[in-house]
Amino acid sequence: MRSDRVRLIISLVLLVAAIVAMLWPGGRPAQGLGKLFSRIKLGLDLSGGVRLEYKVEVEKSSENSVSVVDDVWTVLRNRLDSAGYTEAVVRKSFRESNSFIEVEIPDATDTTQAEKLVGSTGLLWFGQAIDERSYDPTTNPDDVNLAVRENAQWYPSKDGSAWYLVKKEINNRKDLVLSGPRITQAMPVLDQQGVANYVVSFTLDKAFVDIFKNITKELYVPEQVLNSGTTQYQTAMKKRLAIVLDDKVQFVGFVVSPIEDGKGQIRGNFTFDEAKELAAILRSGALPARLVKTNAQLISPLLGQDVIIQCLYAGLIGTAMVMVYMLAFYGIMGLVADIGIIYALVLLFGFMAGTGSILTLPGIAGIIFTIGTLVDGNVIVNERIKEEIRAGKTTKTAIELSFSHSFWTLFDSNLTTIIAALALYYFGTGTIKGFAITTIVGIFAAMFMNLVFSKVLLDAISGAIRVKKIGGAQK
Amino acid sequence: MKEVKKDAANKQNTKATSANDSQYGSVYSRGWNLDFVGKRYYFITISAILIVISLISIFTKGFNFGVEFLGGSELIVETTSNNMTVADVRAKVSDIAPEFKDARILQVQAIGQGEKNTFSIVVTPKDENGVLKTYTADEKVNLTQKVESALGGKVLTFNEVSGDSANEIKNLTWQAVVVTLLAILIYVALRFKFIFGVGAVIALLHDAIITVGMFSLFGVEMNASAIAAVLTLIGYSINDTIVVFDRIREFGKKFKGRDIKVIINDSINSTLTRTLNTGIMTFFTVLMLLIFPTGSIRSFGFGMAIGTVAGAYSTIFIASPIVIRWVKSL
Repeated sequence: MRSDRVRLIISLVLLVAAIVAMLWPGGRPAQGLGKLFSRIKLGLDLSGGVRLEYKVEVEKSSENSVSVVDDVWTVLRNRLDSAGYTEAVVRKSFRESNSFIEVEIPDATDTTQAEKLVGSTGLLWFGQAIDERSYDPTTNPDDVNLAVRENAQWYPSKDGSAWYLVKKEINNRKDLVLSGPRITQAMPVLDQQGVANYVVSFTLDKAFVDIFKNITKELYVPEQVLNSGTTQYQTAMKKRLAIVLDDKVQFVGFVVSPIEDGKGQIRGNFTFDEAKELAAILRSGALPARLVKTNAQLISPLLGQDVIIQCLYAGLIGTAMVMVYMLAFYGIMGLVADIGIIYALVLLFGFMAGTGSILTLPGIAGIIFTIGTLVDGNVIVNERIKEEIRAGKTTKTAIELSFSHSFWTLFDSNLTTIIAALALYYFGTGTIKGFAITTIVGIFAAMFMNLVFSKVLLDAISGAIRVKKIGGAQK
Repeated sequence: MKEVKKDAANKQNTKATSANDSQYGSVYSRGWNLDFVGKRYYFITISAILIVISLISIFTKGFNFGVEFLGGSELIVETTSNNMTVADVRAKVSDIAPEFKDARILQVQAIGQGEKNTFSIVVTPKDENGVLKTYTADEKVNLTQKVESALGGKVLTFNEVSGDSANEIKNLTWQAVVVTLLAILIYVALRFKFIFGVGAVIALLHDAIITVGMFSLFGVEMNASAIAAVLTLIGYSINDTIVVFDRIREFGKKFKGRDIKVIINDSINSTLTRTLNTGIMTFFTVLMLLIFPTGSIRSFGFGMAIGTVAGAYSTIFIASPIVIRWVKSL
């Protein structure tokens, strides 16, 4: 039949395309049969890694929240790249009226570094430290009043051991405020004074060099004053430069010479990694909005491997059972369905490999569920063929009638599963979207297999179809 | 109920009518010939009892919610020492931090895991104001080390969900369920008679309530996978039901003038093999997901295993029999 030839050609073209997509070079290194799946991207829940989700707290006054989220995205991308996490994925997502940023770092083994890198707002400013306490002054009324009188605020030090009263306006001069400057260069440098510690040296953008020079001039304290121990020293104590990052005082110290070239250092007993991260944060600038952690997942690669093997067993045994059942129940028509199962699974995996869709654990559940329902179309078609033959039709006519009747039944019934899967894709968060993807793709692969591929095979073997005249299943 | 109508006009049918004619005088009589419509009240009663049990369990016992609904942090720890019980784990971790005292600790195990003992520890850390908080990066490192040294194992996952996120997921879940049900009702009402849409939705609610009820009754974790199962089940079960409706529509045209009850009963019978075959195959494959894997995915297997049985039951005994009284024409 001519139409069968067209069906056969389309079926084979799709099959070849799927296999090519699966075998195309560039996948994970794998051996034997594993090569077939090496191009399918695994979700973090299977490969292991870190997934962080933050809500972007966009200020209500801000007019364009989408562009704020875009800026957040760019800053985080830069930070992750410059800290060496080039394989990290940063995604924007919007749900209801909220904006979220998701960061996924495959193969990462701890969340700490990533969380520090992403969670830090990175807002850097320079201020004047006028006082300090070794206890939490925000609960002491005298200290709180002092802050109000001085128009300053208490900030804790990085390690929380001390608190500093810091003014943003240096010597109360409104023109001497330096907040969120652009930094052209920042890098970890071995501390010349300390032992095996690192400092972060930075260079301010040209636009900020002048104001930084004026600030350091204003706060300049000659070195001899520091050693004098007189009342001059008491005044000098109120003129220390404070470097504040993320509302934590990173550094407080005297300016012993005005800085004219916009170069400075942040010291704080950093390890090399800490210094490297801080440098990355300084280089990529401040986040334009605060991020609040909503979800954090750390998944060990070990867990993923275990689950993949467990699911492989589940899938193989499930498939074997379905195949045996179909063969036992429908004989040669069951064999057609069994070949169809393998065909549809190849299409499904080929699609995943070809489009770079991500396979998650719920995605595997979707595939295994699909295996159970794959042959539903064959069951409907086969039942109909049996009925038509019993009603006295020839096998060929029975097959034609069955397919023309079954199309809309299959269409109607599959559409409802697609509706449910789409709702899950739209409302689902995280890995659960993977379930929706495999389910929807699985349904399309199954429908194509049921209606096109199986038709060719059934027509080809129609001579061998035998149906008992009186129904098989009798009470 | 014993309305017997004989319609000999249908030539296609007369040839096939055989010994297994039902009390109605069947239009379809090959294969199954069971009286579903006549005995519908028995089957509806069984369902009603199951629904009542489910609702009682849901409202009194409640659910064993997963961390994505509760908010808080879940650590999954694999211990190397054998024979460790939940009580041992509790004793060993309770001093780590205040929130570990009332941690929810479960053993998670699957076939083929052998020596390994895996435990899930869910804690709900609070800040000074008693509001659920997430840990800072440093706190996490600290806790991981403490738990690993207390239990002599490895922390495989450390998942955190903030209170806001938990609330959001609850909202999204409701929206997803409502949108799905509405979309399916609209679709079925457009494609079939409205009254069948009602029957389909009753059947769906039947399946969803019983499935969710079993989650409560057996204390299976209610997590994102469980919700995926409930939504998929809704799509799957309606699929089953539609195949029957489709046959009712076809028989309705073919055997115009026949008793509606006969046509509906015969439609259920003629699709019965398909309903059972697909149901059995789906049931066994999703059952594998309950048996083999560890962790959250088992909830999907559980939900779907219950759901496929409930779905096949409602397709046969509930969806069309329950609305039969209001069906005026086909």
